[in-house]
Amino acid sequence: MHPLRKQRLITFLVIFFAISIAILLVVRGLSSNLNLFYTPTELKNSSEIKGINIRAGGMVLKDSVVKSKTSLEVQFQITDYENNLLVKYSGVLPDLFSEDAGVVVQGNLAKDGSFQATEVLAKHDENYMPPEVANALKKDDS
Amino acid sequence: MIVEVGFLFLISAMVISFMGSLVPLVWSFNKETNLTSLISPIIVLVFLFTLSSLSILIYSFSIDDFSVKYVAQNSNINLPIYYKLSATWGAHEGSLLLWIFLLCSWSLFYILKEKDLSKDITGSILLQIIFFFIAFTVFTSNPFERLLPVVPQNGVDLNPLLQDFAFTIHPPILYLGYAGLAIPFAMSVSSLLQNSVNQDWARRTRPWVLMATGFLTLGITIGSWWAYYELGWGGWWFWDPVENAAFVPWLMAVALIHSLIVSEKRGHFKNWSVLLSILAFSMSLLGTFLVRSGILTSVHAFALDPERGVFLLGIFTYFVIGSLIIFSFKNTNKIPETGYTTTSKEFGFLLNNIFLVILGIAIMFGTLFPLIYEAIFDGKQISVGRPYYDTLIIPFAIGLAFLQVVALFFSWGKTENLSILKALAIYSFLFFIVLVSISYLVFEELYFSSILSLVLFTIILLGNLLSFKQKERSKYLAQIYTKTGSTLAHIGTAFFVLGVGFVSSYSFEREIILSKGQVYELAGNNFKFERIIKESQPNYSADKATFIVENENNSFTLNTEKRFYPSSNQVMSEAGIRPTLIKDYYVTLGEELDTDIWSFRIQIKTLVRWIWFGALLVTIGTFISSRRNFRNRDE
Repeated sequence: MHPLRKQRLITFLVIFFAISIAILLVVRGLSSNLNLFYTPTELKNSSEIKGINIRAGGMVLKDSVVKSKTSLEVQFQITDYENNLLVKYSGVLPDLFSEDAGVVVQGNLAKDGSFQATEVLAKHDENYMPPEVANALKKDDS
Repeated sequence: MIVEVGFLFLISAMVISFMGSLVPLVWSFNKETNLTSLISPIIVLVFLFTLSSLSILIYSFSIDDFSVKYVAQNSNINLPIYYKLSATWGAHEGSLLLWIFLLCSWSLFYILKEKDLSKDITGSILLQIIFFFIAFTVFTSNPFERLLPVVPQNGVDLNPLLQDFAFTIHPPILYLGYAGLAIPFAMSVSSLLQNSVNQDWARRTRPWVLMATGFLTLGITIGSWWAYYELGWGGWWFWDPVENAAFVPWLMAVALIHSLIVSEKRGHFKNWSVLLSILAFSMSLLGTFLVRSGILTSVHAFALDPERGVFLLGIFTYFVIGSLIIFSFKNTNKIPETGYTTTSKEFGFLLNNIFLVILGIAIMFGTLFPLIYEAIFDGKQISVGRPYYDTLIIPFAIGLAFLQVVALFFSWGKTENLSILKALAIYSFLFFIVLVSISYLVFEELYFSSILSLVLFTIILLGNLLSFKQKERSKYLAQIYTKTGSTLAHIGTAFFVLGVGFVSSYSFEREIILSKGQVYELAGNNFKFERIIKESQPNYSADKATFIVENENNSFTLNTEKRFYPSSNQVMSEAGIRPTLIKDYYVTLGEELDTDIWSFRIQIKTLVRWIWFGALLVTIGTFISSRRNFRNRDE
């Protein structure tokens, strides 16, 4: 084969190979690491998502936070002003977690309909509302 | 009054930068009127105007002029003076002005550094970028907007997270990196327009890319270090969209550094280098767009404003589409006669570029995927988790590390003798066995990531040292100097990888409850909760807990705080960190459960400092290399 052609063929094969690997990784990564986002209302009406890793978000309902005095267990309600969702978490809450503020929790829906959170995300700005929450609230308004 | 002057300076800069950007257009219509001699004075003027404008904004912060809306929203009377000054880039409007000023500084440096400017229209391309960004600031994000007639008595305050030393330097340095990528972009576009994409162009461009990459590396490193101690989670990288938006241009810039070597020395990959410089700058613009438009969930997103998003998307599209159109019509079709084989430096660099660019694209894809998904599935929202990026990056990191080492010993065209690789493999294997044994003795456990990082560390370190030693025998002193920078940078990646692997293998994290006086044991260290006191500062009040940590070798105290900032109504914890060469001891205060009973997060991080040490080596190596390349080409 002509050296220049051979050079091009090899280059092409390498690029093709690298891209295939990347696509494989991307597809695999995306299929197992996507977290769908739900509002309390959506969670109330669906039963098939129990046990899967998901995200839920809303505003922390006023006076709903119950903290244990002897352990890191904590529970609170999040709301989209239509339905509420009981969230249970064990761990230190982030600095900006507070009542009447937006929050996103990651975890799964337990059999009793409460949400077992493995992670609580609150962002560092008192005016900040996760876009997911803002969108969810906006949807309810309209 | 002076505030209006600042705005006026900005508008003047906008007008003259627009005029300066018309030079190539005039030239293309009338070959007789070469106005390139006007570009340099215009750049100097634009630089002075934006400097004045930025200075006036900083001045407004220093005198607490709360009649300026931007100052009122981001500063406070009780803020210490140095934070008042750095509050200038604490939010969207000011950081944009800073970005513009830094781009003007780069442009000024460009016209000072480049000798032959008689036919160079690069400055004009830069002025065009400057023009669009000033227009964006003036029309959508004016930092000089007044809050009249009611002037507030006090400002809202700077976000407590940003009241920190690293924050005062992180944005300017990162922006220097971002904006610096405009130089190779402008050089590529102007060379395309003048049909002068050649080996000389590659030689002239490379030191600029190196310098910008140096700043980008340093900026990202400081950001990572800041997140580590300030956010209180003890993580050093979160795959946050904005981190990705800085990391992807970095990958592209590194690819460009390497492809330009081939373009310069062998004349290959010239089109590819041009394309990469466009890609690197586009990614840096895309980063700015993602941060500023607030379309992605991120700790950094501060402006949820669709109008700004549309404007920025317009600028992005203009430059990307525009440069790609120029590229498709003006690219050079000349391919050098000399071929290369699979055992050549050219081929090594080709693989390096393919890996880096595909990795960059895949990361960008993950970052943007939530947007794509939302568009396809009618508003259904998702987030892409951290494991996606982790699984993605590991194979690429392995590939790049091995490639780096092998390609070091390749020659241009075809490598005749590869026996040195065999020697390297033997040395590496022995050294690796020693390191693994030490690690096992010290940590009593081995993990996949610690072993992998040791393998990569060994081959990169030994490969580079060996290759440097080979060059040292060379007669040409200049060659040794040129090699110093790249060797340092490459060795930096070795330390970086080792830090990453060990931190993920040998770290401990516990969330616990302690009452005063209680002791908690973690991995052979006794953490004693000694006392907790209340403290008051002008701009915040705090609960301050003191720990005494004891282990076999020594004992020390750790202080961690939970601060409340009344002016912005925010709570923030300050982690207590004891840094050592091998381990970081890290304590964060949680909340009060009962009288004198608090929750804490206690962490031990092994070799975490090596991550930033490695990144600093990369930075230093890149700067040395940049300086050397400037010298070599200008001599």
